[in-house]
Amino acid sequence: MTTPTRTPYRSRLHPARAGFGRLLHAEWTKFRTVRAWPVVLGVAVVAVVLVCRLGASGSSTSGGGPVTLGPGGERVVDVFRFTHRPLTGDGSVTVRVTGLRSADGKGIEPWAKAGVIVKQNLDEGSRYAAVVATPAHGIRMQWNFTHDTAGSASDIATTPHWLRLTRSGQHLTGYESADGRTWSKIEDVRLPGLPRTVQVGLLAATPAHNNVHRAFSGTSETYGGGTVTATYDRLALRGDSTATAWKSTDVGGPGPNGPAPNGPAPQDAQPGRTDVSPSGTYTLTGRGDIAPALDGPDMVQMSFQGVFVGVLFMVALGTLFVTGEYKRGLIRTTFTATPARLKVLAAKTTVIAAVTFTTGLLATAVGFSLAQRVLRHNGFAPPEFPDLSLLENPALRAVVGSAALLSLVAVLALGVAAVLRNSAGTIATVVALVILPQILSFAFPLPAAQWLLRVTPAAAFAIQQGVTRYPQVKVNCLPESGCYPLSPWNGFAVLAAYAAAALLLAAWRLRRRDA
Amino acid sequence: MSDATIEVLDLRKRFGRTLAVDGLSFRVEPGTVTGFVGPNGAGKSTTMRALLGLDAPDEGAALIGGRPYHALRTPLLEVGALLDAAALHPARRGRDHLRWLAHSHGLPAGRVDEVLQQVGMETAARRRAGGYSLGMRQRLGLAAALLGDPPVLLLDEPVNGLDPEGIQWMRTLLRTLAAEGRAVLVSSHLMSELEDTADHLVVIGRGRLIADTAVSDLLAAASGDRVRLRTDARTQAMELLTAQGATVAVTGRDTLTVTGLQARRIVELLNAADVPFAEVGAHRATLEEAYMELTRDAVEFTASAGIDEVAS
Repeated sequence: MTTPTRTPYRSRLHPARAGFGRLLHAEWTKFRTVRAWPVVLGVAVVAVVLVCRLGASGSSTSGGGPVTLGPGGERVVDVFRFTHRPLTGDGSVTVRVTGLRSADGKGIEPWAKAGVIVKQNLDEGSRYAAVVATPAHGIRMQWNFTHDTAGSASDIATTPHWLRLTRSGQHLTGYESADGRTWSKIEDVRLPGLPRTVQVGLLAATPAHNNVHRAFSGTSETYGGGTVTATYDRLALRGDSTATAWKSTDVGGPGPNGPAPNGPAPQDAQPGRTDVSPSGTYTLTGRGDIAPALDGPDMVQMSFQGVFVGVLFMVALGTLFVTGEYKRGLIRTTFTATPARLKVLAAKTTVIAAVTFTTGLLATAVGFSLAQRVLRHNGFAPPEFPDLSLLENPALRAVVGSAALLSLVAVLALGVAAVLRNSAGTIATVVALVILPQILSFAFPLPAAQWLLRVTPAAAFAIQQGVTRYPQVKVNCLPESGCYPLSPWNGFAVLAAYAAAALLLAAWRLRRRDA
Repeated sequence: MSDATIEVLDLRKRFGRTLAVDGLSFRVEPGTVTGFVGPNGAGKSTTMRALLGLDAPDEGAALIGGRPYHALRTPLLEVGALLDAAALHPARRGRDHLRWLAHSHGLPAGRVDEVLQQVGMETAARRRAGGYSLGMRQRLGLAAALLGDPPVLLLDEPVNGLDPEGIQWMRTLLRTLAAEGRAVLVSSHLMSELEDTADHLVVIGRGRLIADTAVSDLLAAASGDRVRLRTDARTQAMELLTAQGATVAVTGRDTLTVTGLQARRIVELLNAADVPFAEVGAHRATLEEAYMELTRDAVEFTASAGIDEVAS
């Protein structure tokens, strides 16, 4: 070397450790100093709120018919043929179910019911516990509408089966037996509020047949018919009863004033029948159901129509936060300042997630509250549509979940952007993943539509569902009715998995490729 | 290993079928401005990206103070880099660009103002970068490189787009920075830009080292035995001198550069043949010429050599 070596220069600045907190600070500064980005966030909030409110104003109801509320305050269906006697104090009812078949010429519904029941009184919605046999779901013990415990899978279409329900104070215990000698317990439940004298007896019920016709122009769901005949023998009541004879009642109808059994009441609803043969065979013909009512509109979900619009803004933000750097080579400056590229990815993800979640939460909370006010004004009022508190589930889960959904969509876009390094391609990809399945699901055949809403990030919109789904009620999960096939959190997990996969792919590419 | 050095050791980097850098080695010492010269596509930017950890070398190493870039804990305090002055978000103010960089290293806010003042961008930095001229971008890029007050500077074509006044300013600044003991590597595809700036030169072509030399040595060698001759009778003079075994190059309308004959002998020959001439003098090579001399043999440069050579 011909050049003389000099004393090397040393930086006069203190060597500050470039920790992750500093990296977050740097990325946050980047985000807020491009004026368009905070502005987009603000516009997104306004758009989400407005569309939530406008979407809600498109829905109205005249209030509908009378509503049956269960002991928990939820809407229920409580319509069935009841052959009963009063029971005072402790006791039990035992019977052998010898058959359950359709009485209307069509197939039998999987959740048709024949069995024994202990009920607070003859009013709709009153407390009860029942042990029933079903055509497709075996023996069940059900109580107070929302609870359901499976017993054996015995099929009473082929083999008669014994059922027993005993009362001991507030405790009701269900048993079943194949032969009437060996009994197995299904469940022991406590029913507080049960009076000393209750009605016990036999029941027959079936949900109405339900047909769905889907076409491009629209979807029609029809409910009709639905009558079953249940046969019993060896009926035995133990305990004190003030009546010596069995009486029969159609709980909840039938007739023009009867409420709908999980759907509009059929026009041709016939009264139930109970025939008793001299040999002690009881034949009950009836319709209806004893279950939570799931046919009503989802007031929670109806309040979140603006979130779709919000998704578009979040996709744009998540994308531009990354591609804006690639487009101009700024990413090299970023990686020069922080050679640990995965930390940069983590910092960017954290900043975009926090920013979009916070603003998303503001938007969904305000949007939901405004939409609820509008819905209330449009006839969705208690008691049929109880008030929803923002701070209680399902509204709380839907509000926070929708904000998290918006945030995850932004993270998904960020991850895809770091892989593709191109705005147009990223936005097209993410919109195709999140929004397109919704649109296609309206047009596709039901199985394909439901599949789409299971496997794409669109599944996450399930987080907005306010209606609790119960396995003991068959529902046609129609996309056009806002039904998502996955449960709220499972649906949300699908989106989270996509976002995580995009980030992993981005991390892999960042490490491998030159900047 | 001293802190303020740049070392490239047998560096190889391939992009698809193109071998961008092919076994390049050189070293930049503290206290010097080293010019990194080669035509466009010679591998200068690739080498700089490898030094900054942006491109991973296929073979060899690119080290700052003996360490690869990704091993630096506070890189901005150890290396200042200006790669691409256009790498700015157009909607972000110049000052905010420096602020996020400062935040990434927890540097005090006052440091941003210091470097803005140093590059004369205090006022312009309040505007959004989209409206900057190329010169302003260069100044902001330099401010970013200086933010961590680093002992090593890597500047890729920093005078590109500067006006003459700006070029002069940049020269002074680079010399000052080197005088403070920093190692400064300045790339350029125009040798003339490094005139009066660089102490040392690393010349590359097609990814290979062509020369690694002090500027003073290079100029002395290039000036060598060359004689500048001004004459109106250009053709006559050329015929005469080439016949005597000299190599003659036309370097102007009435100027020839003669190699292979002493000035005194040329005067004798011209006088004897009665060829008129205005001036004969020892040639003082410019850096540009020295560069041409250096690269003349490299095949890829002949087309762009710019000097019509007359074969002897």
